[in-house]
Amino acid sequence: MKSKINFYLIEFAINSLLRQKAKSIFITVVITFLTFLLASVFFITNSIKYELNATLDSLPQITLQDVRGGRIHDIDIKNVEKILAINGVSDASSRVWGYYYFEMLDVYFTVVGIEEFETALTPALASLSEKFDFNSIAMFVGAGVKKKMSERYYKEYFNFIKPDGSMKKVNIAGVFESDLELEANDMIVMSKQNVREIFAMSEERATDISVHVSNPKEIATVAQKIKEQFPSFKVITKDDLKLSYENMFNYKSGVFLALFVVAIFTFFIIIYDKLSGVSSEEKREVGILKAVGWRVEDVLKEKFYEAGIISVFSYLLGIALALAFVYLLQAPLLREIFIGYSDLKVSFRLPFVMDLQTLLLVFFLTIPIYIAATIIPSWRVASLETDEVIR
Amino acid sequence: MIELKNISKIYESNENNRVTALKDVSINFKEGELILLKGPSGSGKSTMLSLIAALSKPTSGEVIVDTKRISKLADTFAATYRRNNIGFIFQKYNLIPNLSVEDNILLPLIPLNLSEDEAQKHVKSVMEKFHIAHKKEIAVKSLSGGEQQRVAIARANVNKPKIILADEPTANLDKELSLKFIEILRELKSQNKTIIVATHDPLFFGLDFVDREIEMLNGELLV
Repeated sequence: MKSKINFYLIEFAINSLLRQKAKSIFITVVITFLTFLLASVFFITNSIKYELNATLDSLPQITLQDVRGGRIHDIDIKNVEKILAINGVSDASSRVWGYYYFEMLDVYFTVVGIEEFETALTPALASLSEKFDFNSIAMFVGAGVKKKMSERYYKEYFNFIKPDGSMKKVNIAGVFESDLELEANDMIVMSKQNVREIFAMSEERATDISVHVSNPKEIATVAQKIKEQFPSFKVITKDDLKLSYENMFNYKSGVFLALFVVAIFTFFIIIYDKLSGVSSEEKREVGILKAVGWRVEDVLKEKFYEAGIISVFSYLLGIALALAFVYLLQAPLLREIFIGYSDLKVSFRLPFVMDLQTLLLVFFLTIPIYIAATIIPSWRVASLETDEVIR
Repeated sequence: MIELKNISKIYESNENNRVTALKDVSINFKEGELILLKGPSGSGKSTMLSLIAALSKPTSGEVIVDTKRISKLADTFAATYRRNNIGFIFQKYNLIPNLSVEDNILLPLIPLNLSEDEAQKHVKSVMEKFHIAHKKEIAVKSLSGGEQQRVAIARANVNKPKIILADEPTANLDKELSLKFIEILRELKSQNKTIIVATHDPLFFGLDFVDREIEMLNGELLV
């Protein structure tokens, strides 16, 4: 019985690829590499964007810092009352936090202070405050912090070195968990009192003030009012932060773009090579096929199968490699391009984010170009007079 | 059956390089005839075969096969015409060297998308007929000249054509193999196929089953 799909033609296409083993392997390697590179970048980008957006969403609508002489100073907590008096502000609270440099491993941890009925911080921290024993000298640490501390045998406690050189021993009460890897990974959570002690911060001072505005549309207006009332304050809205993160991220993407252009350039050289001519052997083969009764469309169909098989195989291989590279191996080398500050922070795992759009984008950036580059020259040859081709 | 009317064919790579391969040639071939086209290299024999097979188009004139104007066919129809009517045995066989005997013979059937049983039946039948079945899985590049020619003949017959065209079929064969080929021609002739052989091999001259011998020189028929 006749089948609509011509399996003989597909078999011939596969045979043809196997007959030109070296060329087929070379093309497979190039397309696989290109797909791998493209997909890896998109996977990393998607993961980081997801993580950044989720992190930013959990930040206060407005953050206030006291900047004098271009340097950030601890803020006076008396200002909280004045801020609350501004129209449109529904809540304001001081936050105590800072970066602690863990010299032995050359990394920074974010040390965050919480208190009972915490509202100024993220939902994860707020829920932690409910079960926290504020009378103990204990802390919850992120998974990354726990790992780093364990490497230096701090499994149950850690000795913080205070600015005056004395030490403060804080027990590890547990591992802090959050849906956000970026947020939780490098974080240490303890009572505000303990944080103040470690950073030698007085009771009247805080790191910054977080402000909540009932009507999100009024954020800009409230920010303006605060700025007018407190000229030394740096008023950072969530949108400002989002923008600055995105700018930094786009800059990192730009660096990658340079690398990517090189890869694309190589790909197009191959395409150009294919477009500029078919080898005499290929040309002769097309001539033979036409001489034994193949129509131009039969030849093109066979070439389409050839290009389709090799490019789809390479595409799938490239995607599989990219998935393994990004999500299993955590994209060594490449992720450093996008997360340049990782030296300073504890590394985090890229969350698995996959969408059809990315897969389609990579598909359309590689496969149709290669198929066209295979079919166009074959069409040129197949359109010539058969006698001319095989003579 | 085959009619060539005032055929001229000029190959022109540029203005200064024009080669007239055929000059106003008119000739008829009847069904079941075996005709020899004789003449030295460059006399126009191969060009004439090429025009009958619709592998090229004449510069002027018409080729008519069974009332169809072959010379006017669009490429797609020309290919279908070849597939249904023509078996061409080329001087250099024009086989795909890395493909097996079986796969080379199968080539004309691939676009037909026959069922596996049907396709295999056709291929097996011609492989047995032309005594090449025992080598079916071997790549043709590993075969001797005579074996390659048998593959080419098998391929030319797998689509059961009415017309067999052979262009210098014994040019690369020794005498023994050439005589074997002549026996194959005799057999094909007995099947009432129209056969046109372009050759200048004297072994073909004066054969009892050849209907006509036509001499060509410089693109013209010598009557």
